[in-house]
Amino acid sequence: MEDKKEFKSQATIEIIDNGPIKITGRILIRDSKRDITDNPEEVYLCRCGRSQNKPYCDESHKK
Amino acid sequence: MDKAGSFSGGRRYTNGEITVYWKPDACVHASHCYRELIDVFDPGRRPWVDMYGASTGQIIETVNMCPTEALAWKWNEEEKNKTIDADQTNHINFRRPELMGSGDDTPEEKPATVKVMPDGPLVISGSFTMHYSGNKKEVNDSIISLCRCGSSNHMPFCDGAHRKVEFNDK
Repeated sequence: MEDKKEFKSQATIEIIDNGPIKITGRILIRDSKRDITDNPEEVYLCRCGRSQNKPYCDESHKK
Repeated sequence: MDKAGSFSGGRRYTNGEITVYWKPDACVHASHCYRELIDVFDPGRRPWVDMYGASTGQIIETVNMCPTEALAWKWNEEEKNKTIDADQTNHINFRRPELMGSGDDTPEEKPATVKVMPDGPLVISGSFTMHYSGNKKEVNDSIISLCRCGSSNHMPFCDGAHRKVEFNDK
């Protein structure tokens, strides 16, 4: 019989409609400048390509 | 040491100085490896990895570009593996312990990781909960690639459009 482990994810990725990606929980972020953010409370990442502060959202998608 | 060998889930290749691990099941065909270093990584050749096709430094640099766990590397001299910088993203220290043959694998404790690919997508690996368009999905020990350039036709996922639109991080 297969051993079924109960799965509980500790991180949440939320794709906001017409907006950024909201990341919460236990997660490691490695950005292109090689900074590593561990366990951020809440991070918003750009997915429109227009932020002046990539990879983070700067609300450029609203313009 | 043999030039090539196997481990559970893949194959390994060495040039005597470093060993490169390949896990075909983890590949998402991001194609960085053969675009950067066709002399070493040639999908049309068997074996597809030629560890003598470029310098050790070039191979390390290219393996570090792999956005998935399909490619990883380590120094053959174990001492050198003890001090590895975080920018050596695909060094085996940052990879799955089973590649190293150690048995203490506790995947449920492993945090999810978001890798921001330079001029490319977000590659998210591990276990996490995803919410999009009113849907909720539990992703368990897997890997996804999310669009960051705004031009994908397969939102929210990456479809490679960032190359066509020459997306850059500037």
